Amino acid sequence: MERIKKTIYTLFGKVIVISRSLFFLFTFSPSYAQTVRDLIIQKPVYASCNYNTYPDSIPNNLTPSPKGKKPFYLSHYGRHGSRYISSRSGYDIPFKMIAHADSVNELTPTGDRVFDEMKLIMSDTERRWGELTSYGKIQHRRIARRLVERFPEIFCDNANVSCISTIVPRCIESMGVAMAEMKQVNPKLRITMVASQRNQWYMNHQDRKLRKNYMTPEAQKAYNAYISSRLGNSRLMELIFKNPDIVKEIVDEENFNYYLMKMGLFQQNTHFYMNTYLQDLFETDELYHMWQIDNALWYIQHGACKLNGGKQPTSQRFLLRQLIADADSCIKLDKPGAQLRFGHETVLLPLVCLMGINGFDLATDSLDELEEKGWWCSSVFPMGANLQFVFYRSSPRDKDVLMKVLLNEQEATLPIATDCAPYYHWADVRSYCLSKLE
Amino acid sequence: MGGMLIMSAMTASGQTIAEELMADPNRAAGNFYALPIGKMPKDTPAPEGKKPFYINHYGCPGSYYREMQSIYEEPYAVFAKADSLGKLTKLGKDVKLRLDLLRRDATGRIGELTTKGAEQCRELILQMVKRFPDILTPDGYYSCRSIVQNNCLMTLEESLVQLSSMMQPMRTSVMASHYEDRFMDPQDKVLEALRWDSLTQARYDRFLALNTGNARLMESLFTDQNFLIEQEDPEVLSRQLFVLAGSIQHTDLANHVTLFDLFTPAEILGHWKKLNAKYYIQNGACTLNGGTQPFMQRATLRNMIHMGDSVLKREHPMVHLRYVNENVVMALACLMELDNCGLQTDNLDALADMGWKTYRIAPLGGSIMMVHYRSEQGDPDVLVKVLLNGEEARLPIETDCAPYYHWEDVKRYYLRKLYRYENIRLNEETKK
Repeated sequence: MERIKKTIYTLFGKVIVISRSLFFLFTFSPSYAQTVRDLIIQKPVYASCNYNTYPDSIPNNLTPSPKGKKPFYLSHYGRHGSRYISSRSGYDIPFKMIAHADSVNELTPTGDRVFDEMKLIMSDTERRWGELTSYGKIQHRRIARRLVERFPEIFCDNANVSCISTIVPRCIESMGVAMAEMKQVNPKLRITMVASQRNQWYMNHQDRKLRKNYMTPEAQKAYNAYISSRLGNSRLMELIFKNPDIVKEIVDEENFNYYLMKMGLFQQNTHFYMNTYLQDLFETDELYHMWQIDNALWYIQHGACKLNGGKQPTSQRFLLRQLIADADSCIKLDKPGAQLRFGHETVLLPLVCLMGINGFDLATDSLDELEEKGWWCSSVFPMGANLQFVFYRSSPRDKDVLMKVLLNEQEATLPIATDCAPYYHWADVRSYCLSKLE
Repeated sequence: MGGMLIMSAMTASGQTIAEELMADPNRAAGNFYALPIGKMPKDTPAPEGKKPFYINHYGCPGSYYREMQSIYEEPYAVFAKADSLGKLTKLGKDVKLRLDLLRRDATGRIGELTTKGAEQCRELILQMVKRFPDILTPDGYYSCRSIVQNNCLMTLEESLVQLSSMMQPMRTSVMASHYEDRFMDPQDKVLEALRWDSLTQARYDRFLALNTGNARLMESLFTDQNFLIEQEDPEVLSRQLFVLAGSIQHTDLANHVTLFDLFTPAEILGHWKKLNAKYYIQNGACTLNGGTQPFMQRATLRNMIHMGDSVLKREHPMVHLRYVNENVVMALACLMELDNCGLQTDNLDALADMGWKTYRIAPLGGSIMMVHYRSEQGDPDVLVKVLLNGEEARLPIETDCAPYYHWEDVKRYYLRKLYRYENIRLNEETKK
């Protein structure tokens, strides 16, 4: 199916004409001609995949409602906002290495500064592991405000907004700030919030069996071959250590490079974001290589990767079934309102892959293909990432319910035929999703 | 003498403890009592010209499911086994069904805020704003904090959402971080080690024995007492049933299921006394273990004083809502000696008579609010009043305008109290 559609919108004061085609799968970036490398130049944190931050502004380019129909129900799954790194181990790896090198007087003046910066970051993160940051709260406030402003028909006076969060504190906090913000826009919303173990089975299902088996020998072989040329950073070693050859005994170059880079980029999520010293140590290609390494791993873990049987996205089968069941019952109501769910990227990414949103159901055994075919995970699950399913009808009696999918608040595609893109007939979407679950 | 005893057994409302528990058996749940909402407490008008400008609030989580699945499962298991062997009376069989309902209701919700809890949180915020409308202004600052524990976090979120619905625009800040545990959930190993020293334990055990009698209850439930004793200590089972009885009020099963009907008023009083004494030993100034347990919350009180000073120069109103564990609120109330909370005694039997009752101190939804008043920005004579669970509380400090107190006096009294204790600790540590 090749459907070309012209959309005109104003961005940063300029009028940009965009050819929207299914070959260019990205609705997330402002222009489709961009490469991953371009995106990293614009925003280095893009290279850190799931540590990527949510865009600060979202182009207001939604297609008008289909003729005669109005939005009446919104179903959502969102990731918590920017957080501190979940556990100490990620930071400890490079920190222990550099501390060891420091103890034997092997740091250059730049190395000293790097060590100091790392100490600052460590002490800033102490007692905050995994917690939502201020920036994470801002992201959720903005998203919530836009939700109400973009769909006033759904978020109208007395509308029911029922929220479910996983039991993880940063998700609960994301839900809370989002709902407080919604009340700021429309104080008459009827909001309920639940964070219960009871819903974990679909809100945060981690499939042990799938997870245990994703790295098949085949996948491992392909992955090793793919990353071998992209690991390591002798330039960085020269920069930080007096005698890179000698410190090799205590500093593993590949791990040091990888984790230091992550540590630097991670600060874009915290209040250290103005201090880009660590991030600036790295050249674009070094960041780019890390993105490639991580993107490939995320694909093997959660994509329809042929190297391990392509079943990883089915980890979210319970969630998808729940989304369908919820929609089925909500459509029967006069004014269903909205159902918002707050969870995690390890749920959102496989769900997007399972549903084939924006071509993320890409099935291949070649990791080299990921980049050219647009399987860029950083665009799917930045901190605060979200999927919104917006349902339209003319009246509660209307049998032809339409829906559209917004990925990070931008219209997205599904791999099924439609005569009203970006809208789809709910009946088609429903049977397509059920077929994926069989 | 007898007359005096009867007098002292009367509470402020003129009721004896037995009457209070009869009037609302849910109170017997102690600190697991749900602070009733609906009736808004009355405020003594502030001295002329003074208006509230800062509320410093430490609240317990709202109604929640008990914190362990075993609380629901263990008593059920005893009844299920007894039933399978035909050892239950008719009442026992009925209780088994009730326990089954309770455990199913709680499964997957252990420790979580209940729907009643959510309503309660919102209602309490509504009441706060109704009582102190001056505190809500577009220039004000509203900071909501919680410990990192889901029932407190959800209490925070419900309160925040309620607050947010009451004024637009509103500047709110939210935080739930282990970073603030140092005063929101303080730990002190020295005090913890003192809490249940052997003398205290022995005295408490004797108190338990004196207040225990489960034969009637067990005979009403089980047909074979020998079988029962093989399965479970009747005192343990009786306590488990009592704890569950007090927990139902928080759930949607309230008004549909009860377990209080199993107990006589005397048994309810007995169980309550035992639990009350336990919490007194753990959080009150009980002289058995040195009377220092309330100092567990010294960092919290210090933060309260620090905040009181920092807001003096503020132009616009501010509210701090902090949600912490019930035991933090309980010990803080004891440390601040609010009403009768500062009670120092070794007489576990007389706690109720002397007004130390957990359900009056830190029920679910309960709070300590210090409300600061002034005539204008820079007013040198800031007044405060403290609300314990919404009711104006008495402080151990002299004042000419009760229930209002001069901030400088309040600060001096509490800082001295803290210094005195911290000096003792310092001396002890240097001796080592």
